[in-house]
Order: sequence, then C-alpha cells, then structure tokens
Amino acid sequence: MHALTSTAYIPLSHAEIKQALLDSLRELPGSPESVANRLVSLHATGPDSLRATIEVLSPAFELPVLARLSSAYAQAMRLDAFDQQEQIKVAIVRAKQRVERTLQVSQARFQEVFDSAALGIVITDLTGRCVEANDTLAEIVGLGSGADLTDRDLRDFYHPDDLAALGASYRKVSEGHVDRFRDQRKLIRADGEPVWVHLVVSVLRDADGRPTHHVTMVDDMSELHLLQRSLDHQLLHDSLTGLSNRQHFISQVERQLDGKPITLYHLGLDAFSVVNNGLGHETGDKLLKIVANRLGELAAEKKAVLARIGGDEFALMTVSDNVTSTIEEIQAALGEPTFVDDHGIALSVSIGVVDRPPAFATAGELMRCANAALRQAKARGKRQWALHDPHDDARRRGKYALAASMPGAWEHGEIEIVYAPVHDLESQEVLGAVARLHWDDLSHNDTMALADSTGLSLPIGRWLLQEACAQAARWAAEFGDGAPTLHIALGALQSRDEDLVADVKRALDETGFPPERLRIALDISSVLAGDDNALVLHDSGIVTALDGFRGGHDELAVLTEVPVRSVITRAPAPSPDSPLYQAMRALIETVHSLGVRFGVDEVHTLEDAEHWRRAGADGVIGLMPALGAAEVTELLKAASRPPGAS
Amino acid sequence: MSERVSWVPEGVDTGKPSAARLYDYLLGGGHNFAADRALAEKFLQAQPNARTIARLNRSFLRRAVLFMVDRGIRQFLDLGSGIPTVGNVHEIAQKADPESRVVYVDFEEVAVAHSRLILEHDPNATVIQEDMTKPGAVLQATRHSGLLDFSQPIGVLTAGVFHFVPPQADPNAIVATYRDAVPAGSYLAVSQFTQDLQPEEMAGVVEVMKKSQNPMYPRTKSEIEGLFDGFELVEPGIVPTPLWRPEGANTDDPDKAGIYAAVGRKV
Repeated sequence: MHALTSTAYIPLSHAEIKQALLDSLRELPGSPESVANRLVSLHATGPDSLRATIEVLSPAFELPVLARLSSAYAQAMRLDAFDQQEQIKVAIVRAKQRVERTLQVSQARFQEVFDSAALGIVITDLTGRCVEANDTLAEIVGLGSGADLTDRDLRDFYHPDDLAALGASYRKVSEGHVDRFRDQRKLIRADGEPVWVHLVVSVLRDADGRPTHHVTMVDDMSELHLLQRSLDHQLLHDSLTGLSNRQHFISQVERQLDGKPITLYHLGLDAFSVVNNGLGHETGDKLLKIVANRLGELAAEKKAVLARIGGDEFALMTVSDNVTSTIEEIQAALGEPTFVDDHGIALSVSIGVVDRPPAFATAGELMRCANAALRQAKARGKRQWALHDPHDDARRRGKYALAASMPGAWEHGEIEIVYAPVHDLESQEVLGAVARLHWDDLSHNDTMALADSTGLSLPIGRWLLQEACAQAARWAAEFGDGAPTLHIALGALQSRDEDLVADVKRALDETGFPPERLRIALDISSVLAGDDNALVLHDSGIVTALDGFRGGHDELAVLTEVPVRSVITRAPAPSPDSPLYQAMRALIETVHSLGVRFGVDEVHTLEDAEHWRRAGADGVIGLMPALGAAEVTELLKAASRPPGAS
Repeated sequence: MSERVSWVPEGVDTGKPSAARLYDYLLGGGHNFAADRALAEKFLQAQPNARTIARLNRSFLRRAVLFMVDRGIRQFLDLGSGIPTVGNVHEIAQKADPESRVVYVDFEEVAVAHSRLILEHDPNATVIQEDMTKPGAVLQATRHSGLLDFSQPIGVLTAGVFHFVPPQADPNAIVATYRDAVPAGSYLAVSQFTQDLQPEEMAGVVEVMKKSQNPMYPRTKSEIEGLFDGFELVEPGIVPTPLWRPEGANTDDPDKAGIYAAVGRKV
C-alpha cells in the first residue's frame, strides 16, 4: 500500500485505501479492467503508480492478467484525462460566458448611460474623427442625432481660436501626462451659433495600454446660462416693457464708466398722467410699450443701452455720442403719430442729459444729475431738453442737504431766533425789531424757504411766533414804551395757513404781548392767491405788512383792497443816476398814495439806505446785524439809562 | 509556450502558466495546459521532490480539515483554494458531516469557474471570486453568501497560499483581519514553503517562479509563527507537512517535504 500511496495522493484514510486494495486483489483474476478503473478512480494516477502496482503484483499474477490491467489502466487514464479536460473546458467556457455576460451588462449599462446622459458624450479616434456620439451632444451642437456626428471631425465644432490650445490638451491626455482635462470653451453649432460648454476629456486605451480613443464629455452651460439669465432677467427687467430696470441700467452704466465716454439721457414722457388719467391705465400701459419699442429700435441702431427707470421715465446710455442729433432722433422716433385703442396720441418727451461725465463720477450720481437736468427741462415746457450743469447742481445739492438736516438741527436747538432792527429812514430811529430765524450762515428767507421745502415751515413758524411774542412781552414788561414793536415775517405756507389767525391770537393770549405792538408780515403770494388772513388779522387789530412786494400791477391792485400797513421789498438800491431811480420813486409814490408804507429788506450799507431814503422809502432792515435776545436786552437796558438815552 | 490545445475556447490565454494549474499537474491532475506543464518541468528540475511535496501538502490539508471536524468545526473558509482537484475540502468535510459548509475563495477566473462547475449542485458550498489578500472584501462577500455563521467557530484554511503573498502585503495583518472576524475557538491552518528544509532547492524554486505570474516567498519557522498571533498552536506546532499529526506510520522524509504546516486555535 505504501508503495502506491507514495506515488500519488489518494484522499482517503489508510483503512479505506487498504480496504479498496484488498477488494481489488480479490477481483483482479476475474476482472483486471474493473481493478484498473478502481485504481484510477482512487486517483492512484501518479507517473509511477502503475509501475509500483505491477512490481507488487508480478510475482503472484500471470502476465496476461497484468497486461489486461495495464491496458485497461491506460484506457481509464485516457478517459480520466478527457473528463478532466472536458471539465476545465466547460469551466473556461463558463468563465468566458460570465465575462461576456458581465461585459454585456456593463456594455448595456454604458449604452444606457451614453444614450440617456444629460451630458453630450463623444468617442473620437486620435485624429479627432467621431466614432460614436450620443443624441445629447447632437442636440448641443444643433444636429438631429448622434449618428449625424459619426465620421465628422469634432474639431469642426471648436472655435477656430481654441483649436491650438485644445489640440495641445488632447495630446497631453493621449500621451498620458494627465488622466483628463477640463475646460470651458465655446462650441460652434451647426447653425453657426456659439454655445458655452464645459469639456471633460479623457483617453481610452487598448489591452496593451496604448491610447486609441478620446472620450469627450460636453456639458451644455448655455442652458444653465439661460436659466440664470432668465432669473437675472426677472430681477433686472421691467415686466411691462421687458426693458432693463433702473437697477440693471445703473449696473450697466457702472460697467461702462471706465471705458469710452458715455452720455446719459433721462427721458420723461410729457403729460403721461393726462393719458393715464384720461384714457385709463390700460391705454397708458400700451402707450408705454409702444414708446419702449420705438426707443428700443433706436437703441439697437445706436448700440445704446435702454431702460425703463420710472413710471413714465426711460434712460438711454450711448457711447461717444453727438447729443443734439441723438435728441433729434429720439423726438423723431416718438414723434410719429401713435394710435392706441383708436386714440390718436401725440408723444413727446423732455430730456435731461449728462454728457461725458468725469470718470470718477458714480453711476448713482450720474442718474441723479440726469434727473435734475430733466426737471429743469420739464420746467421749461414740453419737448424740451436740458444739459446737466455741474455748478448749478452743486448749489441745489447743498440746499437739499441742508433741508435734509433741518429737522435734526431744529430739534437740537441749532436754529435760533434773532432780532434785526427796523430803522426809520427819516428819523433814523429804530422802529422795532424783526424776529428772524438764524441757522448757520443762512438768511431768514433762505431758512424759511428751506423749511417750506421740508414741511417744517408751519411748526417752525408757530414756534417763531410763540417764542418771539414771549420775548417781546418780557421786553415790554421791562422797558415799557422803550421796548421795540415786534415784526414777524411769515413764510409762504404759514401766511396761507388756515390756523394762522388762531395761532397768532393764542401766542398773544399766552404771552400777554399787546396786539397793537405786533406787526405780521405775510408773504404777498398768499394775498395774491385770495387768502383772507391779512383781512382777518387786520380786523383782529393786528397790523399787517406784505412781504415780497415787487411792484406788479396785481400787487398794487391788492393794496387797494386789503388793509395793510406796509409792503416790504428786496431790490437793488436805486442810485439817483440809475434809470430805475425815477421808476422806483414813482412806484413808492404810488404805494404811499394808497396809504401804505414802503419798507426795504436786506439793506446793508448807509449809502444804500440813503439811496432808498431819497427814493422815498420809509424804513429799512439790515443796517445792523441781527442780535440774539440777550444782546437786545443789553442794548435796551443801555438805551433806557437816562445819561445814555438819545 | 504558445502551443494551442484545440479544445481550449478562444480568448483564454493558455500561454500564461498559473500556480493553481501547476499544483494540479503536480498532483497528477489533468486540468492544466502546456504552459503549466512546462513550468512544472522547470519546477521539477529545481526541486525533484515537487510531486511528493504537493502530495504531502494536499494530504496535510485533508488531515487539518478532519482535525477541525473532530474539534467540532462545521464551517470552513478556504482561502486561495485554487483549481478543484483531488480531495477537495467540501468533499472531506461533508464526508465527515454532510451539513458542513464551505466557502472557497480564489481570484483566478478559471479556478473560480471550475469551482462553480463542481459546486453548482451543492447548497452547502460555494466559491467567491476575491483576492484573499484583501480580507475586507473577502469577508464582506463571505457574509453576503450567507453560508457561514460568523458567531460560530470557523476553520480558516490557507494551504499553500501564503508563499504567494509578498512581505510588503503584510501577511500578518491579513491573517489578523480574518482572525478578528471569527469567534474564539476558530481554527487557522497554514502550510507554506520554507527555506529552512532544503535551502538550495528552495532557492531554485524561487528563481523558477520569479518569472511566472506567481512568484514565491518562502518563510522561516519564526516568520510563520508570526501568522499565528492571537492563536494557540495545536500539537505538534510548526512542522514539515508529513510530521503534522500523521496517519499511521510515516514513510516520507520530513526533510524533503519543503513545506511547513501548522494549525492554531483562536484564543
């Protein structure tokens, strides 16, 4: 047994092998063939197994038996080898089928990915010829299906400027310097339109690692762009006309500021509110669309940027432009008769222009300047245009800035009441004191005008009335007849205020100031407008004056009807050699003839005062600077002392 | 080398010998190609005792499986099982207990296909195609097969496998991962070529195999001991294959066995 087991591995226990061999010995004389089969099936099939067997058996068995055993053993070995080879063949076939099935599945997966990908995918040979492309790519480049790309040169779809750079990138991939490259490029569609894409390019290699094909994945950015643009569009465009909105326009102006010189046109439709109110908002909207269309055509022609920046306002930005010819073009474009819902509507615009602003100006400033120019143009009438004047603007801007800070200033006590003496030109005596507002270095009238523009004039005016009466009451109590009469000049709004008379009465009641010592100067415009405050005040025993007298016929006419004590004017002093001298003298005579005194404000020199005196005026304001209440008190004290009294 | 056998399906490269088919040939099997046999001849020149070494190694595997069955192991993980040849683990184990379950692991396409063919009607045995040096993937696929219960002891078999694992693959760490995946009471069987026994012949074998797809890395006894970290070696420890719990009287020369064998029990 050991002789045999050392020649081959028999996967059985020794007892089992022993049993098998004993059985074989019994069978051998009758059927050497079955013994041979048993040996082979036991796997006693080593190169020396048969030799070892024959050596053990030959002394006991005849040659014919051993010959049959050997022959049958050889045959069984042959069949066993065939069986094993058949088995491994089947195994290999299965392995191969399995690989093929896996390949088929992965190929099917690939095909599915390839066909349904949102990415364009193309496989090209190393010369750039398309071997296979999917429909998505075809769609991106404007062809019907992926098959249309087969055999075409992918490079046909690259922008000519990109060819060299992309060629180098493809080579880097195929030469193995990089695994893949990504890029953002413009493809040229079949219809010549550009399309922005992300590219990812990698290489396919054969079994030996040699590069055979490129795979190019193409992500259509433009769809993203479009979506993005659509969102941006909604944010940056006017929904009615589809034009850019104000915000978008400003950003476009900003972008252009560093470049060529620009010109801004701020267009306001003339009398659009008439259309809107008279024909309805729908008609108004249609009209706006028509205007937008016409201006849009012009803008396209001039490569200008157009926006709707307000209800009936448009803005146009041109580059290196001729202002007058552009204005003519704008008016011509809008001037054609417009029919909206059977209403023939004549269109014109007023235009504010900012031409070639300095590069340091901000877009916001330019828009404001253009708007200011438009207001000027509108003030002149319809179909007008105005060029922005930087100096004028600086003045306005200063004024508006002040107006904006006025409420705070008043609240913080920065606005004071000062008292300016009124001099009698004949006696040269002080007739009284004018209570005035003083803020910074602004005159009373400027302060009042500012207050009017901010809506503060009424509360400030009441405050002025109340405070000045209280102060004058203290002076009257202290100095008796030596105390000045109180003159108060009201702003235009307060002069017209319904509550003015009540306010005045309350101030007098609360302060105890005698009404006969109060002089109220009303803005003459209120009287011209037919307001009866002057009459009521007069009836209440308060002396009134009219401020802002210019000598017009309407003003003179008013003097015949309204019982006023005096008029106050502001005008250059009429020097005797001036041609105006006689006219002024005649005017003053006329005023006097109506029983009205003639006063002049803002007379700052004795010479001017003398001119006015010779022209016949009665009193002037401004010869001495206005003083605070405490200073006036001091002066009054000094004047009341017997030694210094004059 | 490139001689084509007519029955080999197209697409299978018979020009590249494989260690699995070489082993089959040395064991007297027929599942091999000319290239395998040519390599075997060179192998035999370097180590004339190769057939005996193969037989003794295969015989050790059988005894190790039966030993484990005797110790109550009914599930086996045969790593690097190769081409099914005479005396496969599932045949041995199931002969002892038909309920024994076996998972074979090999990476070579034909070996796996062949195993599938043999096992296709055996619900208690399967083969998974994974690289045994990647224990994570092997264990995942094994669990996925549902055949082995990792809460019960498992017999992990690595017969004639680790000498194909290079030192840089860190065989100790590979074993450790398998060890950590199985419960205490599990067993590990290792047989692997050593240069301790016939250094000259071993060096020749290494040289021959260097040019094949499966270079060999013989290990010393102490290196093999390292594989059993966390295991308790069962008697007689690490010994030449014929000396490991021989069945009856031993007639083979242990000094020419070429391969050390050992079994350890996870503590």
